[in-house]
Amino acid sequence: MTGKTGAAVDDAALIFPAETPHSLTERICAITLHEGESGWTPLWWWLGLGFALALLCMGVISVAWLFYAGLGIWGIDWPVAWGFDILNYVWWIAIASGGTFISALFFLLRAPWRTSLNRLAESLTLCAALCAAIFPILHLGRPWFFYWLFPYPNTMGLWAQFRSPLVWDFFAILAYVLCSILFWYFGLLPDLATLRDRAQQRWQQVFYGVLALGFRGSGRQWRHYQPVYGVMAALMAPLVVSVHSIVGMDFAGGATPGWHSTQFPPFFVFGAALSGFAVVLMAVILLRPAMGLHPYITARHIDTLGRLLLTSSLCVAYAYVMDAFSTYYGPDPADRTMFAFRLHGLYAPVYWGTIVLNIGFPQLLWWRAIRLDLPVVWLICLGVLIGMWLERFLIIVSSLARTQLPSAWGQYTPTLWEWSLLCGSIGLFLTAFLLLLRFMPMLAMAEMRAMLAHRP
Amino acid sequence: MPPLEGGSRIGMDVSDAALVRHFPQLEAALSHTLDRRRMLKLLGLALASGGVAGCDPGTPDRGFVSAVRAAQGVVPGLPNIYATAHMRDGYAEGILVTHQMGRPIKIEGNPDHPSSLGATDVTAQALVYDFYDPDRATGPLHRGMPTSWPDLAAAMQAMRATATAPHPDGTQAGEGLRILTGTITSPTLGRAIEQVLATFPGAIWHQWDAIGRESVTQGLDLAYGPSIAIVAHPGQADVLLALDSDLLDSAPGHLAYARAFAARRNPARGTMNRLYAVEPTPSLTGVAADHRFIATPAMMNEVIGRLSAQLLQNEAPSGGPDWLTPVVADLRAHHGRAFVHLGPDYPAEAQAAVQAMNEALGGRGAVFDIVESPCYPPAPPTGTLAALMDDMERGAVRALLILDVNPVCQSPRFAAALKHVPNSIALSDRPHETALAAQWHVPLAHAMEEWGDARGHDGTVALIQPQAVPLYGGMNALSALHACLGQPSRPAMDMLRDAWRDRLPTPRDWHDALAAGVIAGTVSRRVDAPLRQAAMRVASPASFPRAANEAVLLLRPDPYLWDGRGANNPWLQELPRPLSKVVWDNPLLVPPDMAQAMNLRNGDRVILTRGTTRAQLPIWIQPGQATGCVVGLLGWGRRHAGETGNGVGTDLYPLRDMTGPVQIEALRTPATPIACTEHHATAVGTAPSDVARHGTLAQFRDRPDFLGGGATPHDALYHRDPGAPVAWGMSIDLNACIGCNACVSACQVENNIPVVGRDEVLRQREMHWLRIDRLYEGTEHAPDTFFQPMLCMHCEQAPCETVCPVGATTHDSEGLNVMVYNRCIGTKFCSNNCPYKVRRFNYFAFAEHESRPPISRNPDVSVRARGVMEKCTFCVQRIAQARIVADRDGMGEQVVTACQAACPAQAISFGNINDPAAEVTRRKASPLTYAALPEQGTHPRVTYEARILNRNPAIPS
Repeated sequence: MTGKTGAAVDDAALIFPAETPHSLTERICAITLHEGESGWTPLWWWLGLGFALALLCMGVISVAWLFYAGLGIWGIDWPVAWGFDILNYVWWIAIASGGTFISALFFLLRAPWRTSLNRLAESLTLCAALCAAIFPILHLGRPWFFYWLFPYPNTMGLWAQFRSPLVWDFFAILAYVLCSILFWYFGLLPDLATLRDRAQQRWQQVFYGVLALGFRGSGRQWRHYQPVYGVMAALMAPLVVSVHSIVGMDFAGGATPGWHSTQFPPFFVFGAALSGFAVVLMAVILLRPAMGLHPYITARHIDTLGRLLLTSSLCVAYAYVMDAFSTYYGPDPADRTMFAFRLHGLYAPVYWGTIVLNIGFPQLLWWRAIRLDLPVVWLICLGVLIGMWLERFLIIVSSLARTQLPSAWGQYTPTLWEWSLLCGSIGLFLTAFLLLLRFMPMLAMAEMRAMLAHRP
Repeated sequence: MPPLEGGSRIGMDVSDAALVRHFPQLEAALSHTLDRRRMLKLLGLALASGGVAGCDPGTPDRGFVSAVRAAQGVVPGLPNIYATAHMRDGYAEGILVTHQMGRPIKIEGNPDHPSSLGATDVTAQALVYDFYDPDRATGPLHRGMPTSWPDLAAAMQAMRATATAPHPDGTQAGEGLRILTGTITSPTLGRAIEQVLATFPGAIWHQWDAIGRESVTQGLDLAYGPSIAIVAHPGQADVLLALDSDLLDSAPGHLAYARAFAARRNPARGTMNRLYAVEPTPSLTGVAADHRFIATPAMMNEVIGRLSAQLLQNEAPSGGPDWLTPVVADLRAHHGRAFVHLGPDYPAEAQAAVQAMNEALGGRGAVFDIVESPCYPPAPPTGTLAALMDDMERGAVRALLILDVNPVCQSPRFAAALKHVPNSIALSDRPHETALAAQWHVPLAHAMEEWGDARGHDGTVALIQPQAVPLYGGMNALSALHACLGQPSRPAMDMLRDAWRDRLPTPRDWHDALAAGVIAGTVSRRVDAPLRQAAMRVASPASFPRAANEAVLLLRPDPYLWDGRGANNPWLQELPRPLSKVVWDNPLLVPPDMAQAMNLRNGDRVILTRGTTRAQLPIWIQPGQATGCVVGLLGWGRRHAGETGNGVGTDLYPLRDMTGPVQIEALRTPATPIACTEHHATAVGTAPSDVARHGTLAQFRDRPDFLGGGATPHDALYHRDPGAPVAWGMSIDLNACIGCNACVSACQVENNIPVVGRDEVLRQREMHWLRIDRLYEGTEHAPDTFFQPMLCMHCEQAPCETVCPVGATTHDSEGLNVMVYNRCIGTKFCSNNCPYKVRRFNYFAFAEHESRPPISRNPDVSVRARGVMEKCTFCVQRIAQARIVADRDGMGEQVVTACQAACPAQAISFGNINDPAAEVTRRKASPLTYAALPEQGTHPRVTYEARILNRNPAIPS
């Protein structure tokens, strides 16, 4: 990781002036196809993959034991019936938002800087959504019946119960994951075609050839491709808002103090944006030197992402303030008891940690010098990821631990199996992401070429 | 009755020791070296006995055969109900045992029995587990090792010879033979023992109970003369003063007393009585009181002294606590309608003085009666345990017969004394400490497997009839006594039949009495004994000087394990203690100020030293306990209770042998986690609770509905009319609830609710569908305590139903919130969304891991699998059963839920709220009715009647 971007380069540049469409294609394809002198499978990739697989193994063991022994191996209990399961789900799905915001929302807004980032961000989205998707199944008492959430015709004559936020959630997640995959894949088609055409080895030709679905880059294909991509982006942008709104409704639909709040849908969208931008920033800061992406991901990108992070942090701050305000303005003593417990109780460090990490540290990004100081930005992003995790812990656990009746107050202590599952999901994320890094182009070459071509 | 299969453990243990235990005869065979010939013989034996084991063993009384054809009167799917009695320290509480296909599965109270009136206590509910307990005695033991019945008979013969042989110094036959029993109210058993005594004139009968009430008996001796008992009528009393009393929770007749007391607690249905309680540690009676005064044991003596001075000697009040004068004035003002009750932990002189006060208050014949004692023998020629132990240590006891008591566990001195006795036989239904320490152990059949009789608190005789063939073999106590005499054993039923032939001459009478469970007209006669002047003499209040770190130790029986007999019953172990809500342990109860002074927190360990004995145990802070007074619960730390009870908790019996204050020393060892079902509610709230609403009688008189409202929303928008012809609802009267937990236990038995064990309770995963919330208000040192049964509210607008993604919990047309176990996938959202938190989740396969055999479960209730949510169903199986009966008979359904049936105080009523004549409808119309958490808009079908306290205006609160 280098501390500063190249001094010779104009900070406002989205791409180094020396870059041409050809040089860009050469460089990116060399990474993916493992060819030439810049041929690529560096040591850090192998080490990273080894580490990720080790974590993944831990997760697999944890899940196997979970299926064998039952939910009792976790620390969840009678009053606090949700713990790490739902917490990690919400955390991962929020992380997954970053890619969609950048590639879909800013595509529609015609923000030129998103072009260098969208592939990377979308790949992160995909991996994080994959991690998120496993938790709703694992959290079930009888996970082998998870498909009962789906309204399929059956001999029992039973249907899903459509009033339940969990059903909305099921559909929202399903739609989001499917659309994310499609959007990512569709955006990838021209690049897959490029790879197919440049591949030297037979397996690569076949592999990328099949994946490219016969994309030849003809005028007719481009004429269809671009509107479809636009339409998909137009679908994805509201979808990312809806999925996080519905995750928020999982809680807002409950009568539990601390959940039953009308602001939860936007609050969860803000939180998702915050963690999404943070994880993209973290990946960008690490991968830029590691993969030699300096010419395409410049200080301008980092700066922009930093501004977005700051903006979403302020949105989240607003939500936190409103949370406190509505609690104390509202009439419900149970809400106030619960909120006081957040502020002073067993989990008070979690609350204050959330505030400091999600709101406090990101305020440093007001200063441009700090926005461009990569180690500091990276640490702030890491803090945000931890902070968002703590925030979910707070929402889920501290609310359930202090519900209306004092006789049902409780607490929650995660067990080794929950921690190992969290580590396992991180392992799954890293494994999937590292494999994508290795086998898929991490820059949207076609779009970048178009941008270079139109460069003044 | 079809034969029962029990002993599911047989065949699972493969170790030699366990094998020998189940098949005692094998021991002799295995002790030889095995050659080929012997090996083949044994194999042949095994083959042959395989066939024999398939046959029903029968009983000594009657031959039983396998039910090739269905037994008469047993219809699959329909219950059969038989009356019998549950013994509590010798006193009978009538019960009805529900059978399914010949298997006893549930206990209800016997409405015809005056000590039950249809209600049960916790221990009666838990009997079902005791009956099926795999740890019960399976055969005779010799020095703790399995032996055979013939060996035992030979030993008995030898012992009889020793006992009957004239002693060289020319003493009587039987000199040196002692019989030790608990309190016996059974006329037949009592006579059998007297027969033994008549045969061996030198023999002595000793009576002893680990948790005794001798001081009460002796007090009555002082007051009236021998063989007197007192029967209270709390329903007739306008003012009651309970001095460290157990009137409502464990005194003989407590179920009837609770019923009568509670009947006068709801001002919407009659005039309230007023209860004052003075006690060092909170009890159910104290919590039920309108005024609860805290007094150390020393202060208790002072209070009794001052009360007797004022009430008996008419002395002018001087000194003493402020409240004493208004209390005395109130008692006096209700002359003839006032009653004073003193707990059993006070000396005979104090008991006599209290009885003198009752006489002075003129309540005899109205609020209490003096009757002939139901206990046997009528006169007290029996020896005490202390005398027996002295004789044993002197070597004067040559043979000792211990009948169904456990002194080795409960009186530590006894174990050493027993070593001086050459012949000892212990009879008990389980191989407990005494059974293993005695030379011979004779397995007794369980109380639900034998014939017998026993008297209730008022003397009424209940007949005990066997509910099944003995699961593990075992003798009847009557037969065992006969065997000791060397008389030919007669069937116990015949002995019992003969004993009551005078009163029940025809078979029809006998049958009717068995069906009713009681013999009519056997109630104890009233006695006209005048009060003796000696009773007025109260012992001077003893002083309890205390040094630093010294405390007064009160040792009380555990409310459920009692003297330790319930220790192997996981239902009792896991039932929350009424106030502390602690399960699976007996921490030392410490008052808050002592905990603060010693910097102790719940679970911190202390060493308790009294004289030369010491015990190490964790503590639990008990709000409302007297300063300087610590309370230990007896019955824990059993060494040979069984797999469930061994080593659970701390044995405090050794401390009971010592006297004087105790030293408490805090240990620096890590705290012991204490399993408690209300960990986070021990905090004392200062604001009046809106959930368990309460007020005073004065407020009620001002405006009767001052606490009500919220039960039926006035807003038409939210008004939900229970439309169907039948709409089930429940009303719980918080005025009546005494927090005894009988309903919780009944619910557990009825609904196959699994026990989860200490570790899982520590993880807050207990499964009780019904719990009793305990709320503290006021200060930690003297809080007001409130109980509130909390169960599924069957909300009209149930928050759980809307969030279930698969519709596993839905509403039926009659307003039940039903749980479809097969559809549940275990998202647990319903539990999260339930404001009352009454849903329980099967985090593990709890039911599968229970130690009781599956045949002991209620076949009408599904056993829930792992990963499934469960909760109160309003006993939907009982509703279904009642519907069948109603359809057949053309009348409305008469449903009684399990909790409602068990409740001694009749706090719970259940029924069709669309039926204006139903009790539940009338109760719901009470101005005190309210819904819990009305702001949630759930419109619960369960409503409460707020608790009203009848405070004395002369006593500032």
